[in-house]
Amino acid sequence: MKQITRKRAIALIGTTAAAAMLLAACGSSTSSSSSTTRVTGGTATFAEGPGASPNYIFPLTPPSNFSVDNLAQFQILMYRPLYFFGVGNAAGINYADSIANPPVFSNGNKTVTITLKHYVWSDGEQVTSRDVIFWMNLLKANKTAWAAYVPGAFPDNVVSYSAPNATTVVFQLNQSYNPTWFTYNELSQITPLPIAWDRTSLSQPAPSPTAANLPDTTPSGAVAVYKFLNAQATSLSTYATSPIWAVVDGPWKLSSFTTEGKAVFVPNKSYTGPNKPSLSQFVELPFTADSAEFNVLRSGGGAISFGYIPVSDLSQKSTIESLGYNVTPWIDFGFNYWVVNFNNPAVGPIFKQTYVRQALQHLVDQPAWISTFLKGYAVPSYSPVPLAPANPFADSSSRNNLFPYSVSAAKSLLASHGWKLVNGVMTCESPGTGPTQCGAGIASGATMTFNLQYLSGVTATQQEMAAYQSAAAQAGIKINLSSGTFNQVITNAAPCTPTQASCKWEMENWGGGWEYSPDNYPTGGEIFATGAGSNFGSWNDPTTNTLIQQTHTATNAQASLNAYQDYMARALPVVFQPAANYQISAISKKLRGVTQNAYLNLTPEQWYFVK
Amino acid sequence: MSIAESLNPDLEGGVLDAGTVPSGGEVASAYTGAAWRLTMRSFFDNRLGLVGLVLLVLLLLFSFIGPFVYHSDTLVANYSINLPPGPGHPLGTDGNGRDILGRLMLGGQASLIIGIASAIVTTIIGTLWGAIAGFFGGAVDTVMMRIVDVLLAIPTIFILLYLQTIYHPTVTLLIATISSVSWLTAARLVRGETLTLRAREFVRAVKVMGGSRWRIVYRHIIPNTVGVVVVQATFTVANAILILATLGFLGFGLEPPAADWGSMLSGGVNYIYDGYWWLIYPAGLLIVLTVLAFNFIGDALRDALEVRLQRR
Repeated sequence: MKQITRKRAIALIGTTAAAAMLLAACGSSTSSSSSTTRVTGGTATFAEGPGASPNYIFPLTPPSNFSVDNLAQFQILMYRPLYFFGVGNAAGINYADSIANPPVFSNGNKTVTITLKHYVWSDGEQVTSRDVIFWMNLLKANKTAWAAYVPGAFPDNVVSYSAPNATTVVFQLNQSYNPTWFTYNELSQITPLPIAWDRTSLSQPAPSPTAANLPDTTPSGAVAVYKFLNAQATSLSTYATSPIWAVVDGPWKLSSFTTEGKAVFVPNKSYTGPNKPSLSQFVELPFTADSAEFNVLRSGGGAISFGYIPVSDLSQKSTIESLGYNVTPWIDFGFNYWVVNFNNPAVGPIFKQTYVRQALQHLVDQPAWISTFLKGYAVPSYSPVPLAPANPFADSSSRNNLFPYSVSAAKSLLASHGWKLVNGVMTCESPGTGPTQCGAGIASGATMTFNLQYLSGVTATQQEMAAYQSAAAQAGIKINLSSGTFNQVITNAAPCTPTQASCKWEMENWGGGWEYSPDNYPTGGEIFATGAGSNFGSWNDPTTNTLIQQTHTATNAQASLNAYQDYMARALPVVFQPAANYQISAISKKLRGVTQNAYLNLTPEQWYFVK
Repeated sequence: MSIAESLNPDLEGGVLDAGTVPSGGEVASAYTGAAWRLTMRSFFDNRLGLVGLVLLVLLLLFSFIGPFVYHSDTLVANYSINLPPGPGHPLGTDGNGRDILGRLMLGGQASLIIGIASAIVTTIIGTLWGAIAGFFGGAVDTVMMRIVDVLLAIPTIFILLYLQTIYHPTVTLLIATISSVSWLTAARLVRGETLTLRAREFVRAVKVMGGSRWRIVYRHIIPNTVGVVVVQATFTVANAILILATLGFLGFGLEPPAADWGSMLSGGVNYIYDGYWWLIYPAGLLIVLTVLAFNFIGDALRDALEVRLQRR
C-alpha cells in the first residue's frame, strides 16, 4: 500500500526463518527498561503523517485510498484481518493475534482450508465463516474497484469458496500455488465483514447472520451492497455515528472523527481477542506539514505520545529526548518511487520509451539524496525488491545502481534517439520507430516537458524534487513542479485510460512509494501487473506479467523472484528514489508496550502508561 | 458672460469658437501645473514619505539592478544546503543549496512586479466600477455594489487558496488572483467619492452644457477621484505584496525554482529550531521594508493630495 515519506516495514515468508530473524534484529525496540509502575487508562496520541489522514474506513479499499494511513493505522484497529502480520517488531504472521488459525494447504496446494477462532462482533454476533464469505462475495462482484486486484490472481484464481460450518472456510484454487505467496499476498488481504453490513441502505434493519438470500449472495446484490458501503465510506463526517461502522471486532471502536482526520478511539468492550486495551483512549492527530507536527512535539507538554522528528530537524534529537521521548527509526519493508503515466495522451508515448525512462533514472542521485537530504536514514531503491530491512530477497540487481547519476548519460541517451536541444529543452527532431528515432507515438517537435506533483509538507521530498528538477534541466528536460497533500497526490495518481479527463497527470510522487502490506511477499503483482488496481501508471508489459506469474507458482521461489527483479531493475516501470525510514519516531518514555510493526500496523491495544 | 466664462474666469471675456468647445464646455485648466507642483512640494516636505521613496528606490535597485552586479545561480539546486553566510554566499544558501542573496533579488522582482501590476489592475477596475456605480446611482448602483458586497463577504484567503490550488501559480495568475480580491475596496472608496462629486456644481454645469453622462464620468468624476485612487493604489501595492508573501508562506506561491519572499520565509521556518537565521530574517526584513515603503508613500500622497491637509 502507498505510504508517505515518514516511513516503512517488512515481509517475510515462513520458509525463511533466518530472514525473519534478520528482520527482527533490525526492528526497533522502543520502551525504556527502567522500572516504573504501570497505570491503567490514559490517552495516547499518535501523530499522523503530514497531510496523510485516514479517509476511508471500509476494509475493501479502492486504489485512491489504499494507504498505510487507512489500512494499517485506521481500519485494522476496528476491523481485524484474517491474518495479522508482525510479531512485535519482527516480520511474519502473528497467528496469536489472528482471527484464523494457520491455513492448511492440501490437494497439491489447490485446496486451502481455514478455521476461525472465537471472535465476536460488537453487536454480539460471532465472527463466522459467513463473514469471510461476505467479504469474498463483495470482492468477487467488485474486484476492479479493489486496489489490490491483479487480473488472474485473487479472486480470479479462486474457483470456489465455501463455508461448510461456522468456523471453516474452504478455497478451491484453479492451480497449485506457492503456499507462502498465497498466504502472504492473498489470504493476507481478507477482512471478515459483519453481516450487519449486508444491506443497501441505512433505513434497512441490520440482517441476521442466519438469514437466507441476503443481498451479497447474488452478483447484482453484492454490487449494490458494495455501492452502499463505499458511499458510506466516503461520508467521513458520519464515521463515528454511523450504525454501520459501529459494528467492530477489533480492540477499538471510533468515538469521534473529524473530516480533517482527527480520530478518537475508545476500547471495544466486546473485544474477545488477545491484548485487550489498557488505554482509555487512543487519538490520531492530523498535521498538514512535518514542521507543524514537530512544533507540537517540541513544545513539550505531552500533546503527542507517539510522534516523529522530520529528517530536516534531526539536529533537535537531543532536545526531543530531553523532553521525555525515546527517538528511534521505524523501518518498514518497502521501496520508493514515483509514477509516470504511461496512458497520458500527450506524454505517455514518451514515457513508454525505455531509453527515456533510463534517462529519467540517470538524473536521480540516490546516494547524494540519502546523505544530504535524508541524513542517512534511507536506503536506495534500485528495483521493486527492497533493500531494508536486511532480507534474503534482494539480489545483485536490486543492490547495485544500474543507472547511476549522470547528466551526460541522460543527455546522450536522448540525443542518440533523435532528440535535440532547442531553447534549452530536448525536442524530438527525428520522429519514427527506428533505433535512432524518438519512438512510436512521438511527434516531431514534441518536447521533454513534464509536470511532476509531489508531496507537500515534507522538507526532504521538496529538496529531492528541486534537485531532480535542476538535474533534469541540465539534461534538457523541463520539469514543472507542483505540490499537494498526500491524499491529493494519491488521488491524482490513479490508473486511467487515455480518453479519460482524469488521465492528464504526468508524474506523481506521494513520497513513500510502496510498503509491502498486505501483499507481504515482494512480487509486485499489485503494482505492476497489467490491469492491477494499484498499477497507478498503467504499466503494461507482457514480460512483467509472465515474471510476476512465475513468482506465484514456481517451485523455486527465489529464482523466479530474481528473474523478476533483474528485469524490473532494467525496465524501470517507475522512477526509483531513495526509500527513507518510515519515520524517526519520538515515543514518550512514559508510553510502554510500543512496537514498531514491520508492516506499519498500529497496536495501541498493547500500549500502556507508566508513572 | 458665457457659462464657459463663468466657470473659467481667467478667460476674461474671451469668446470661444463654438466649434472648439467640447460638449461639456470644459477648457484646459491653467492651474494643472501649479497644482502638481504644490502636491509634489507637499509630498517632499513629508519626511516619512521621503524615507518611503528612498526605500522603494533602493529596493528597486536591489531587485532589478542587483542581479547585474551580483552574479549567482539562483535556480539550480545543489547539495550545499543551508550554508551560513560566508565567502561565495554573503547571505548563505537555502534548503536547496541556492544562494539566498541572489534569490532575494529574484524574489524582489516577483514581489514588486506582482504588487505593482496588481495595484494597476485593481485601480483600473475598482475606479471604473465605483465611479459608474456612484454616478449613475439607482438600480445600477444597487446591483453593482451588491456584487461588491457579496464578493467582500467571501473570505479572501479562501478565494486565493482556491484559485492557487486549481491553477498552477504563475506571475500572471498571482496578479489576477490578488487583483480579483483587491479591487473591491477601491470600488467602494471611489463610489463614495463619486457620490459627493456628482452633486458638485461643476458636474451640474457640465450637465447643463449638454455633457453626456459617460463624459462626466471619465472627464470629471474619475479625474477628481485621483487623490483617493493614487493613495489607495499605493496601499494596494503593499497589500498585494503581503498577500503574495502569505500565499508563498502557505505553499501557494510561485512554483519552484522561481522565488518569492513568502516562500523563502516559509522554507526558512522549517529550520527555525536549527538557528538558521539567514533563511528567515533577510526575507522577512525585505517584506517589512517594502510594505513600509509603500505605506509611507501612500500616507505622504494622501497628505499631499488632500486639500485640507496641504500647507499653503
